[in-house]
Amino acid sequence: MFDTVLIANRGEIALRVARTCREMGIRSVAVCSTADLHSAVTRVADEVVCIGPPAARRSYLNIPAIIEAARRTGAQAVHPGYGFLSEDPDFAEICAAEGLTFIGPTPEIMNRLGDKARARATMAEAGLPVLPGGEHPPDDAAEAKEAADAIGYPVILKAVAGGGGRGMKVVHDPRDLIRAFHDTRASARAVFGDGRLYLERYVESARHVEVQVLLDNRGNGVHLGERDCSVQRRHQKLIEETPAPGLDPSLTTHMCEAAVKAAAAVGFTGAGTFEFLVDGTDFTFMEVNCRIQVEHPVSEAVTGVDLIRQQIRVAAGLPLDLSQDDVVPSGHAVECRVNTEAPERGFAPTAGTLTDFRPPGGPFTRVDTHGFPGLTITPDYDSLLAKVITWGADRETALERMDRALAEFVVEGHGVSTTIPLLRKVLREPDFRAARHDTLLLTRMLGET
Amino acid sequence: MQDPESEIVVDEVVRGAERLLRASDRPLRRIVVRSGAVCVELEWPSAAEAAIVAAEPAPVEGATSLLYVRAPMVGTFYHAPEPGADPFVRLGDLIELGSQIGVLEAMKIMNPVEAGVAGRVTEVLVPDGTPVEYEQPLIVIEPAGV
Repeated sequence: MFDTVLIANRGEIALRVARTCREMGIRSVAVCSTADLHSAVTRVADEVVCIGPPAARRSYLNIPAIIEAARRTGAQAVHPGYGFLSEDPDFAEICAAEGLTFIGPTPEIMNRLGDKARARATMAEAGLPVLPGGEHPPDDAAEAKEAADAIGYPVILKAVAGGGGRGMKVVHDPRDLIRAFHDTRASARAVFGDGRLYLERYVESARHVEVQVLLDNRGNGVHLGERDCSVQRRHQKLIEETPAPGLDPSLTTHMCEAAVKAAAAVGFTGAGTFEFLVDGTDFTFMEVNCRIQVEHPVSEAVTGVDLIRQQIRVAAGLPLDLSQDDVVPSGHAVECRVNTEAPERGFAPTAGTLTDFRPPGGPFTRVDTHGFPGLTITPDYDSLLAKVITWGADRETALERMDRALAEFVVEGHGVSTTIPLLRKVLREPDFRAARHDTLLLTRMLGET
Repeated sequence: MQDPESEIVVDEVVRGAERLLRASDRPLRRIVVRSGAVCVELEWPSAAEAAIVAAEPAPVEGATSLLYVRAPMVGTFYHAPEPGADPFVRLGDLIELGSQIGVLEAMKIMNPVEAGVAGRVTEVLVPDGTPVEYEQPLIVIEPAGV
């Protein structure tokens, strides 16, 4: 086992990883930008190295600085968290070349699954159902038009290198395709440095259901059940829960088993998430995320498995210490993302200093947050401030508990607003309550098109 | 195992990269050298980005007018260009704006550290060969004309 792990991230996930390191008796090293010198993780980690100025590309995306920080602190492994460098195969490769263990899948797997067009082809080959779509990214708009006409509208254009809900465009009208192709290609080039797009049939209203898998280097693999992430706005998730409500358990079991099988078939190791769209009784593969996910705590809440611990164990070459029979999900768990955003102003990020911050507590309530009174939220980073996770023996209890927890949550600061009021509104929404909702729920509630 | 010809190619590529590095006054952002089918990639931060670093004023410390030269990146700080050589600066030296005061090694790349202010070196805070973090004070300068 490693004696020192460097955490190449910030915010709540850096804190989350540092906590498990402490529980495992591993020294943790936090890296931070000058904006985060007094962040919560710097008080929990055993050592802190300042790696650069606030701009992420000069700090949390600054590979030489992170590698140097690992070297000077004697770290043997790097946990990338989510976002930033977590899905960068070059970073994983550089870590390996510098004698550091990257806590995640191999660079080869990350390359293969990070390229979404290739991932689609790979998973179709491994036996997962995929939506009608083009086999290869089209070279030009004319080729894209031809492919879209063959697939049928609406289609979605997706950046091959995209992620985090960005780099996508839905096209309903064939006449809009060529312009959408050019626009999306330009923005994919600007944001991801790769302008290649692929096309897929767009499913208007479906459930977004994903499967958490965990595989070691010795051929053992398990799934930790599914998570329903259908409450989202423009592909940004807001509420996640497990099990997926209102779905036939035989369908979700089938999906979970298919995901582990496909993961094993391609040699995936570590923690990963297979995202699917569920439409009625059909499910189709969307993408694989080769990292820990924001919403992993709901799976932890119902299974009792610490996913970060398992990631570290697998990276250290240890076998999984659980089999599928040991994974016995119990009850229902929900997560709400408390973001410092103003939903009434198009979810614009808000910044400022927190004058008051009192997270909820009480029975079966977990809060993962880097917030504290006096924290200054800067516009440099993601707006996620806290994740509230509640558990209940059944969905209704978990949702009631969530509303109680959100009602207790105090976040105050000049100019700072949060998603808490909107989250509570969704919790009261009859369609959500009755699990009749789909990915368009929030769009309909907000009156957006 | 590489054949002698590809070794020559790699040597030449590395020498070329070194020449490019010396010709630039800015720290490198990324370097990739591959030998299969020869590839060398060097990436510098954009001019605007680098200029900000160079022009960052060393903050005034307390009531005194002493200024710090701080580490522009994470790395290992060296006083001299190579082991056994004379240090770039000594206590009491008068230095000019832009004078090199040391070297920061990060991922095997030597980055010059320059003074953002002219004046006299009153203290060297970091011993030779010490790992430093971003913005760590390295030397103290009493600005000229104070």
